[in-house]
Amino acid sequence: MQNTIQSAKMFYILVAIVSVSSLYFVVPSVIVAEETPRTFLTHTGLSIQTTGDVIDPIGYDGKALDFDPDKFMKEFDYGEVTVLDDGTVLREFYITSRDDQIMEVSPGVFYNVWTFNDSVPGPTIRATEGDLVRIHFTNEGSKPHSLHFHGIHKAEMDGVFENVGTGGTYTYEFYADPVGLHLYHCHVHPVEEHISHGLYGAYIVDPKEAREPAEEFVFILNGLDTDFDGENNFYAANTIPFYYQHHPIQINVNQNIRAYVVNILEFDAVNNFHLHGTLFHHYPAGNDMLTMSQGDRQILEFNYKYPGLYMFHAHNTEFSEKGWVSTFLVKENANDFDTEVEYDDII
Amino acid sequence: MTSSKPVLAISAIAPIVLLVIMVAFLLGPASSFLQFGVVLPEVSIEKIEFIENEIRATVRNTGPVDVNVVLADVNDRIQPAAIEPDTSLERFETALVRIPFDWNEGQPYEIGVTIDDGTRFAKGIDAAFPAIEPDIDLFVFLGMIGFLIGVVPIMIGLLWYPFIKKLGKNSFNFFLAFTMGLLIFLGIDAVIEAAEISENHLSSIFNGELLIATVIILSFLALYGVGKKLIQKAEFSKLSKGLAISLMIAIGIGFHNLGEGLAVGAAIALGEVALSTFLIIGFATHNTTEGLAIAAPLTSTKAKIAKMVGLGLIAGIPAIFGTWIGGFSFSPFFTLIFLAIGAGAIFQVVLSIFQYMKEKSNLLPNTSLFSGLSVGLLVMYLTSIII
Repeated sequence: MQNTIQSAKMFYILVAIVSVSSLYFVVPSVIVAEETPRTFLTHTGLSIQTTGDVIDPIGYDGKALDFDPDKFMKEFDYGEVTVLDDGTVLREFYITSRDDQIMEVSPGVFYNVWTFNDSVPGPTIRATEGDLVRIHFTNEGSKPHSLHFHGIHKAEMDGVFENVGTGGTYTYEFYADPVGLHLYHCHVHPVEEHISHGLYGAYIVDPKEAREPAEEFVFILNGLDTDFDGENNFYAANTIPFYYQHHPIQINVNQNIRAYVVNILEFDAVNNFHLHGTLFHHYPAGNDMLTMSQGDRQILEFNYKYPGLYMFHAHNTEFSEKGWVSTFLVKENANDFDTEVEYDDII
Repeated sequence: MTSSKPVLAISAIAPIVLLVIMVAFLLGPASSFLQFGVVLPEVSIEKIEFIENEIRATVRNTGPVDVNVVLADVNDRIQPAAIEPDTSLERFETALVRIPFDWNEGQPYEIGVTIDDGTRFAKGIDAAFPAIEPDIDLFVFLGMIGFLIGVVPIMIGLLWYPFIKKLGKNSFNFFLAFTMGLLIFLGIDAVIEAAEISENHLSSIFNGELLIATVIILSFLALYGVGKKLIQKAEFSKLSKGLAISLMIAIGIGFHNLGEGLAVGAAIALGEVALSTFLIIGFATHNTTEGLAIAAPLTSTKAKIAKMVGLGLIAGIPAIFGTWIGGFSFSPFFTLIFLAIGAGAIFQVVLSIFQYMKEKSNLLPNTSLFSGLSVGLLVMYLTSIII
């Protein structure tokens, strides 16, 4: 009898405690102290009063970021120049890969970038047609990396079958050929991972007769999958989301602008470059890529300058890493075919 | 047994002191030694509200490390936002993310936040619904809903009393077993509902499933004590045993209805349920059987109408409080607690009825027990389909 009364009492106490503490959930606002709110106006014209922090990458001033898209866009690496005995211009470049750096890619978002020369994208390599390009590559990363240049070169300079291990070096050497805008990137498997972490850059081959003078910008269209779910969390021209929206690129009326645009987006099949208020002249540059829709047809003619094993595949790495990858084995042949595709017309 | 009080105190405290020392050692000198594996941050979005030109998400750091919430998005599109009190979230801390956004009613949305390491956490809402203003209209509306799903159907169910009373002893046993069937079903229903709330609304740090089990057992034990006391009291007073059983059933169902009311109120407030007349009809039909459950044990005694109404109110009125609390301030934690208390109480009541039947007739197990149980379960299942 005594026990049951005791336990009943305990039960009522329990119920009382639960009912009183539930008040906290009913009226939490009473318990939280009020501060003076300030107004936060978004770019869409909506505003709210808040006492908290504003998290707004769109209106961000970009001061503290580790990467400067303005600087990158106008920076061309012409290499260390030496003129060889036969008059050929030799350009030497030094590129180091790393995969341990943490970079603030968007305000407050810190992402492990894999870098060429501590930067995403890597430096823009620039040479003139016929120059001898020599790249001293060092891999300081913890994983194997490589440099795969688009353009015409020997098979062993393709950076596909020769992975450079941790601490390893490799010297890539080729003639700047053909004229146009190319790109380079790491081609170590899984390529999607190596590219999406940031191992890429632009490679420009100028014609011997210089182009018309113009203000030149490089735009590498890229994305960042910061949570590794196979979908980009951020998109940008030159890495930093929304950057040029709040740092307008300043140009003048009637000034000629030349944009070197490279799309190195992973995970998504298509990207766009859309210009407001004017139209552009368009020079497809570097005819080693063809984007096709279902049912499209194209006739391609080409030949190889050097023997060796060369890949051809979808540059959409998902497709290539799921099977759309192939090779040509170009053999040193007895009878010289003596044919050459003219690249002059296709810059 | 002759040991002095200080010795007794030391023997009680010593293990606790040693445990504290061990924890201090593990957190201090040994902490680096114990660091292994990858620590993954986790943020849960607990609540999403739509107000004029703004979406509000309550986020909680449910991971093992402190995080900063640095980005907000709507449908995976980055949006400027404010976060109160600030971007840094310690373990278990909550913050309110306020996104100025011109949303459309009835449209599905996914709200996401990104933390400093770039990980995104998101939660979807089936249909945006303006958050209800807590005013007197809502108070009346929620009260009405609670009354309609809780009190009215139970009162209707109690009206079966004269009918059951006229039946013979076998029929009486049948209806007691029938009640057990109803209650077992209600108990299982409450456990499932609590588990659903745990999965959809409660952060994993609360260990929802274990909490449900713990509360069910505690509630069972507590009601066991109360029930025993009631029945013992019945022996010494004019309070009949049947009435004691009915009272316990009413209390058990009352807890259950409180939990159910919380869930319904929350569903209304969060706009998760298109609350149709049909849904109310479903709940009402289902809950009518609860009235029958209360009435059945009373048939062996003379019951006054006032007492029966009182029992009905004990069982039904908690639904009104449930819809109020759930509607004005939804707490998945407390909804789960009350559903679990209800389940434990109901299972205890089932046991009491069984013991009561065993005392009354030594023919157990008999056909009326099994047929009653089966029919009770089936009736509940069929009425549950309507909801």
